[in-house]
Amino acid sequence: MALLETRELSKSFGALTAVNGVNLRVAAGTLHSIIGPNGAGKTTLFNLLTGQFAPSGGRILFDGRDITGTRAHRIAHLGLARSFQRTNVFPAFTLLDNVWVAAFACSRSWRGLLWKRTDHYAEVSAQARQALSDVALLAKQNQLAREISHGEQRQLELAIALAAGPRVLLLDEPAAGLSPEETRRMVALVRSLKGRYTIVLIEHKMDIIMNVSDRISVMHFGSLIAEGTPAEIQRNPEVRRAYLGGIAA
Amino acid sequence: MKHPAVLVIAAVVLLPLAVRPAIASEIWIFAIFGLGLNLLLGYTGLLSFGQATFFGSAAYVAGYLLKYYGIAIVTALGVGVGIGALSALLVGYLCVQRSGLYFIMLTFALNQLFYFIAYQWTSITGGEDGMPGIPRPALLGIDFRQPLAYYVLVSALFLLALWVMKRIVESPLGKILQAIRENEVRAEAVGYNVPRFKLLAFVVGGAFSGFAGVLYAMLFGIVPLEAIGFVFSGNVVFATLIGGSGSLYGPIIGSVVFIWLSESMSVMWARWPLLLGVAFVIIVLFFRGGVVEAWSRIWRFSKRAS
Repeated sequence: MALLETRELSKSFGALTAVNGVNLRVAAGTLHSIIGPNGAGKTTLFNLLTGQFAPSGGRILFDGRDITGTRAHRIAHLGLARSFQRTNVFPAFTLLDNVWVAAFACSRSWRGLLWKRTDHYAEVSAQARQALSDVALLAKQNQLAREISHGEQRQLELAIALAAGPRVLLLDEPAAGLSPEETRRMVALVRSLKGRYTIVLIEHKMDIIMNVSDRISVMHFGSLIAEGTPAEIQRNPEVRRAYLGGIAA
Repeated sequence: MKHPAVLVIAAVVLLPLAVRPAIASEIWIFAIFGLGLNLLLGYTGLLSFGQATFFGSAAYVAGYLLKYYGIAIVTALGVGVGIGALSALLVGYLCVQRSGLYFIMLTFALNQLFYFIAYQWTSITGGEDGMPGIPRPALLGIDFRQPLAYYVLVSALFLLALWVMKRIVESPLGKILQAIRENEVRAEAVGYNVPRFKLLAFVVGGAFSGFAGVLYAMLFGIVPLEAIGFVFSGNVVFATLIGGSGSLYGPIIGSVVFIWLSESMSVMWARWPLLLGVAFVIIVLFFRGGVVEAWSRIWRFSKRAS
């Protein structure tokens, strides 16, 4: 059964239809990638899934439940967490505080919200440290987010999403702007998360996609034009024409 | 600066030796007002130009009850906190729907609305003449009409307010508000209802303003119309920026500087606000973190030199 599903999901901005009748089914426990050229509507699709935008049409189902139109701050509580394509952290916070606020948001209870000291939430702090440790940043937990390297900020970006303990991770180009070495590290990181979370991944770098994905959906001008395993996608003539063409030719 | 709380307590004890008790009381009352504003300005990153709305509303309501119904000090303070929070809930609800310049203008416009209500409703507020004749009731047999006795009460309540605010900014709420200041989009994405939290900051800040408003009314025995005016709202922003909005203690330092300067300079020179203007320009240009930052820079410089 699909854990996350969209039915005829659409989004228009005036005359432009950025997402056009998308039917996506993400099975639980898999790593499902969405590829497509720039402007294909991948990030808009993410923004619809996480409630940043309200869809113009269609439905979104999470675990069989209709979550269409749920506002962004509720989505995280349902168990969907996202990372952003452009680094989107809390710059003046320490790394630990960055993940702490994310862990607290989805913690079981907000008791003591106005009163209890933040370091007295042992469970939340432990979860936050675990998220930092998952992305190998625990050693730098007391540094400020604006003082670490771009590659480390991308890792932190991921840790913030992990801290909430989500069921589905939506990763928007986690390797954007990374050097080959940093990219390798990020791929290893994403691979290590496989199986523990259901992951939806947007990525441009083909080698990453083909290596880690269980399934791939191809987006072109707002529509899904193909879906299948990495091998199937590589063979698909329509995909080669629309997207891989430039590379394969 | 390792134990700021100790410094604050020392200041509370020593201040009446330097200035008259009435001015010393005014300084700590204004500091409470500043603490409330700074939860919005420094911690949440919201510039509210309408804090006098809550300060003045609480002063009028509690003042009226003190004057005509002879309520006790504790009740008056409770009413002040309640009215401050309630008026902040109303104003905040409308303001948090917008951001940036529109937000600032809304806080200002709603402040003007409350101001003109107070200005027109002369049968209650006394309009331009203010609401005089507000008593300082005795509590537990202590006569607070003595300026020094009232100073002791005010400074104890100020320390209480500071302690409460310290707890709040060190709580998850404080962290969440700073997260909103740092990155609103991400705060929303990790699961916080941003407008709701901004409103909560308003309500808490409003409660502090109301608390200060009642103490102010009892200090001077009158609620002047200015207590709900935009100049007063501006003054608290001004004092907080002078002190440094980035620190819990910034508004306290700002209040000491602002009230002390205005009380001492206004006697000597009618154009004294000119000096404040110059000080403000210097701070905005060179010390964005106010006196707190200037101090820590001098501290670091002298350490390096030695």
